[in-house]
Amino acid sequence: MHLGDVLLQGAAALASLGAVALVVLIVYKVVEGARLSLSTFGLGFVTHVGWDPVHLKFGAGSFLFGTAITSLGALILATPLAIGIALFLTELAPAGIRGPVTALVETLAAIPSVVIGLWGILVLAPLLRDHVDPALHSALGFIPLFGPATYSANVFTAIIVLTIMILPIISSISRELFLGVPSELKEGALGLGTTRWEMVRGVVFPYTRGGVAAAMILGLGRALGEAIAVAMVIGAFTGISWNLFNPGNTLAAMIALNYQGASSGLELSSLIYLALILLVFSILVNLLAQLIVRRVARRQGLAST
Amino acid sequence: MPKNGMLVRITLVVAAVAILAAVAVGTAGASHKARSATAIKGAGSSFVAPLVNAWINPVSSIGISLSYNPIGSGGGVSAITTKGVDFGASDAPLSQFSPTCTTCVQIPWALAATAVVYNLPGLPFLKMNGSTLANIYLGKIKNWNDPAIKKLNSGRNLPDKAITVVHRSDSSGTTFNFTDYLSSVSKTWKSQVGNGTAVSWPTGIGGNKSAGMSAAVKSTPGAIGYVDVDYAVVNHLGYMKMRNRTGKFVVPRLKGILAAAQLQTHPAKDGSLSIVNPPKSKKYANAYPIATYTYVDVQKASGANAAALKKLIGWAITKGQTYGPKLFFAPLPKPVVTFDKKQIQKIHS
Repeated sequence: MHLGDVLLQGAAALASLGAVALVVLIVYKVVEGARLSLSTFGLGFVTHVGWDPVHLKFGAGSFLFGTAITSLGALILATPLAIGIALFLTELAPAGIRGPVTALVETLAAIPSVVIGLWGILVLAPLLRDHVDPALHSALGFIPLFGPATYSANVFTAIIVLTIMILPIISSISRELFLGVPSELKEGALGLGTTRWEMVRGVVFPYTRGGVAAAMILGLGRALGEAIAVAMVIGAFTGISWNLFNPGNTLAAMIALNYQGASSGLELSSLIYLALILLVFSILVNLLAQLIVRRVARRQGLAST
Repeated sequence: MPKNGMLVRITLVVAAVAILAAVAVGTAGASHKARSATAIKGAGSSFVAPLVNAWINPVSSIGISLSYNPIGSGGGVSAITTKGVDFGASDAPLSQFSPTCTTCVQIPWALAATAVVYNLPGLPFLKMNGSTLANIYLGKIKNWNDPAIKKLNSGRNLPDKAITVVHRSDSSGTTFNFTDYLSSVSKTWKSQVGNGTAVSWPTGIGGNKSAGMSAAVKSTPGAIGYVDVDYAVVNHLGYMKMRNRTGKFVVPRLKGILAAAQLQTHPAKDGSLSIVNPPKSKKYANAYPIATYTYVDVQKASGANAAALKKLIGWAITKGQTYGPKLFFAPLPKPVVTFDKKQIQKIHS
């Protein structure tokens, strides 16, 4: 072997081993930091609802609930929008505007989360409180999710903010996937006399299903871990409420807001316990994504996505 | 290949120029620094931030370039504990935090009040007492036209409007002062919630730091919250007259703060003082019940910046106090200044 080959192999192996070691170390440090809380509360911590630094009773229940409801809500809102954007940019838009619109949508991903959070507090939250929330309540009030709206900082605002943040992720990946559909297939379908929509439904969607699912999961991962923007708009309240117009909190936002100046070692350890739960949650989501991609790829007999 | 070689050469040249430039700027900066001010970095309490910001200009004349980051008391104690800053500032004593800074000296350096602010346009200076305030924050009183509030404000036209309780979402010395007060006026509060820099709030929404709290109250009609008086004034928020134990309704202004400060003028050994809710006595007839000392926390071994830090804090507790009244900070009582001077002597390089 050439010296260069040996060097390349060594460097690459070192880099990948470094990444593995980093993950292991992070998990180890998180578990170690959470040990005090783990031994005090055990697994009951995961479901206990409450965060009381004065009486030293901590639990992740309400934050898990908040994390699940905000990220699922954002995913439900963002997915159809993102797929719409991707379809428009690949199949429907006139060639001249594809470039600029693609660039703009991707710029959305580059906006720092603290800027989106600030905009969320100052512009979005009052707008939603005064116009959107009451309208949703009066139209859909029979569903417990759309209860009376009084607070401007609430779970619904956080869902909208997260939707905006994960939209470019899902749409740009979907766009790449749609572009990757072989044009012979598309032209073949159109040549058989299908409409554009029938072509999209019959060729583009089945061909890219696995990839789009993976894109959704990537978006979900972003939504799960987003701390700052959510912390700024969600209203930081510990408790469980099905009304989206009440304040709430998520795992990531809770950690971001409170890790500085914990009032006891147990509180600090409990915050790290929250981080551990978030870590496990994120790893599970990632594994799920890989599983979906592999299954769909196998079913299609294509290794395309 | 020749193309690649060219690229490599260009990269090398650019890198060399960049390194040279960095070295040049670095040495220029260093020589410049030697002649000009010592940079002192602080972080912490957003409550005391208006006063510290007012100090930045005048201290440049004694050779200190001061910068302050209002990240909240909890953040300030964290930062000084890990030596990320030259000083931390907190409205709650160090003993309220764990982990806390065990190698720090704690110096009370300002005196002010926590205002109870609210958003009801056209109704300035509503009267409030401790038990009613506690019931609002416990979620028992939910509307502005509740009989308890009406009784305190006879003749005022209180609207039928839901109360939105706002509290701090971060670890805060203002929260400590406020819950300290609520615990002293309400047994239910004391047993159910208690006092601390962060507590388990029975109701309401959280605002991040004093600025977030002010913004939340300002943007939510019917909201109630608590911040340093200066934030209330700057943000044009109405604040309440609080009933003290002698039965008088007092605004969080200098007179009320100074009257409350008489409760304790000799700090405990660790430098802490508590002046919340003074007892019923003629001496405290004008006392505002939610007042607090606020502290600067410094590592005893402060290294190269020790001399400048001593100069800064020595200035802050004497001359610096004259910048207070405009911002609703009362000057420190003499015994506290005497104590502080001894504390400052504990700082060394």
